[in-house]
Amino acid sequence: MLSINYKIAWVHLTSSLKQSIVALLGVTFGICMYVFLTSFVQGSGSVQTALAFTSMAHIHIYNDGPADNTNLVRKFYGANVLSLIRNAKVIQYVQGIKNTADIISLVRQQPEVVALASEVNIDIFFRNSANKINGTLSGVDVENENKVFGIADYMVTGKWDDLKYDPTGVIIGSGLARKLSLHIGDNINILTPDNISKTYKVIGVFQTNVTTTDNTKAYININSARQLLSENQQYLTDLQVNIRDYDATTPVVGRLAPVIPYKVERWQVANQQLAAGAILRDVMSTAVSLTILMVAGFGIYNIMSMTINQKIREIAILKAMGFSGGDVTTIFLTQAMVIGLIGGIIGLGLGFCLAEAINHIPFKVAGQKTLPMTYLPKDYVMAFIFGLVTTLIAGYLPARRASKIDPVTIIRG
Amino acid sequence: MENDIALKADHIVKYFYQPEPFKVLKDLSFEVKKGEFVSLIGKSGSGKSTLLYVLSTMDTDYQGELVVNGEKLTGQSLNQLAAFRNKHIGFVFQFHYLLPEFHVLDNVMLPAMKLKKLSRAEIEAKAYDTLKLLGLADQALKQASKLSGGQQQRVAIARALINDPAVIMGDEPTGNLDSKNAEIVFDIFRQLSHERGQTIITVTHDDDFAGKSDRIIELSDGSILPAAN
Ligand SMILES: Nc1ncnc2c1ncn2[C@@H]1O[C@H](COP(=O)(O)OP(=O)(O)OP(=O)(O)O)[C@@H](O)[C@H]1O
Ligand SMILES: [Mg+2]
Repeated sequence: MLSINYKIAWVHLTSSLKQSIVALLGVTFGICMYVFLTSFVQGSGSVQTALAFTSMAHIHIYNDGPADNTNLVRKFYGANVLSLIRNAKVIQYVQGIKNTADIISLVRQQPEVVALASEVNIDIFFRNSANKINGTLSGVDVENENKVFGIADYMVTGKWDDLKYDPTGVIIGSGLARKLSLHIGDNINILTPDNISKTYKVIGVFQTNVTTTDNTKAYININSARQLLSENQQYLTDLQVNIRDYDATTPVVGRLAPVIPYKVERWQVANQQLAAGAILRDVMSTAVSLTILMVAGFGIYNIMSMTINQKIREIAILKAMGFSGGDVTTIFLTQAMVIGLIGGIIGLGLGFCLAEAINHIPFKVAGQKTLPMTYLPKDYVMAFIFGLVTTLIAGYLPARRASKIDPVTIIRG
Repeated sequence: MENDIALKADHIVKYFYQPEPFKVLKDLSFEVKKGEFVSLIGKSGSGKSTLLYVLSTMDTDYQGELVVNGEKLTGQSLNQLAAFRNKHIGFVFQFHYLLPEFHVLDNVMLPAMKLKKLSRAEIEAKAYDTLKLLGLADQALKQASKLSGGQQQRVAIARALINDPAVIMGDEPTGNLDSKNAEIVFDIFRQLSHERGQTIITVTHDDDFAGKSDRIIELSDGSILPAAN
């Protein structure tokens, strides 16, 4: 037998249907906006992050150069001796990363790691007769590079995989192609800092929409790069590592940094604006969403208070018949809960539909075709929970007031 | 002897403080026996309703002591009193207070649904019987607000009876009824008190009604007048 309190709550809800629907719409609107806003803000956030991760891995391992070892005098005599050294020369004994096989296998052992790409990066000049542009020639492990950066998706012409079997092929950024007037099949000449010059054939053009990358970067096969530098088959300058959850770099770096004698850098450190931007965006959207929910909460509070004022005699009768304060609270809290649940579910549906609709609006910026949107179950769960908590609080306050009504005062008239 | 007492009021004093301090009930002491049918009479404003609210445990703001069914109620918590009312006290208000959005039948069933002693089907059968007793069986599925004043009053009486309370209190329960229906209610009350041993305390202005009951308590300015019979 369903408790009589629920039955009374149900009769109240259905007998003043209009009021219930208005309260319900408040919740629906609140949750709908919450879902939509978070989806939209996270959508644009993830576009920005995805853009950033076309030129940046989650964890970057590289040779940061030796520490400042120029003051050798101090090393022997301590800090009390003054020394004057001018024009100290730094000899970098080791270029790139040594013991690469050990490091790679160590990184691969980390359970979070999903992709790992070796690179040989060389600062060079790109030349097409008189035009000269400073840039980076990146020798890459074609397959893994794509796993980390998804570069194949950004190809404008040519195929990324062609680089695998073409030792003289080069894939260049769209900006570079424009500045040097290069098209597929054309030759491009490069000049290394050691004055080695070599000509490659353009077999593809990519566009990541990160302007600096598109204007200055070109890819060749990693073995061709080693050849260019006369280095061995183990040689590499950078290791790019992607992990499952890009926010959770700290534990992985914490494990790798102490045992790898090179710089192990999280993207959050390499690109602090991006990390800060993501946090600010989250804070903003949460603040706005919660404000909307609070407004919906006030709506429920008002309507529940109104209902209780209208039903004050009935509450008095119930109490006279032996219903306790707790029963009265249950009756009105149940109404708030039903409004919260139904309004919440409709709100989730509407929020999803709204996100879908907005997601189809054409919006052509930074390689986007439509306005970005995410559909994370987590956001929907959070919206629902927040909605319920808001209705509970907004319903509880008037319900508690109702439970304290003194029946005699009301019945005496 | 103690077991024969259904209700005992001991030196009940009550004040109203608004608009100015005013002693409504002036040291009232009396006992009502089990199965007794008592009429409470007195001029308008003499404190009858006020006394009844105290006796019904709804009003706790008084001095003195109240014992119903052998249980001392003075000083109990509001929740304890609510549970006690539900089980042991049936109350009929001066104006027929029903829940307007519920069916007549639901209104009658409400206190029993709260008590949860019987199953729903049993409660429903009992509610029908009680309504039949009051000549309202054909109105059972109507909405309470659609009934006439007199009919609503009788529904309220049926509701007060549903849990077989030890004490039934009424504040002019026949005030809205014609003489024929008032007669019916009187007969029911007498039957309840004499055959089932339920105690009845009703406020009434109807001298005829009062005269036929077992005992009359007359209030005047918050004091009990010496018994005439
Ligand atoms: N809430 C209140 N505040 C102050 N005084 C009150 C209040 N309720 C009742 N009174 C006063 O208490 C006295 C008793 O009132 P009560 O309602 O008990 O009278 P009654 O005997 O039931 O009268 P009636 O026959 O008209 O119903 C009256 O003088 C009334 O004005
Ligand atoms: Mg009165």
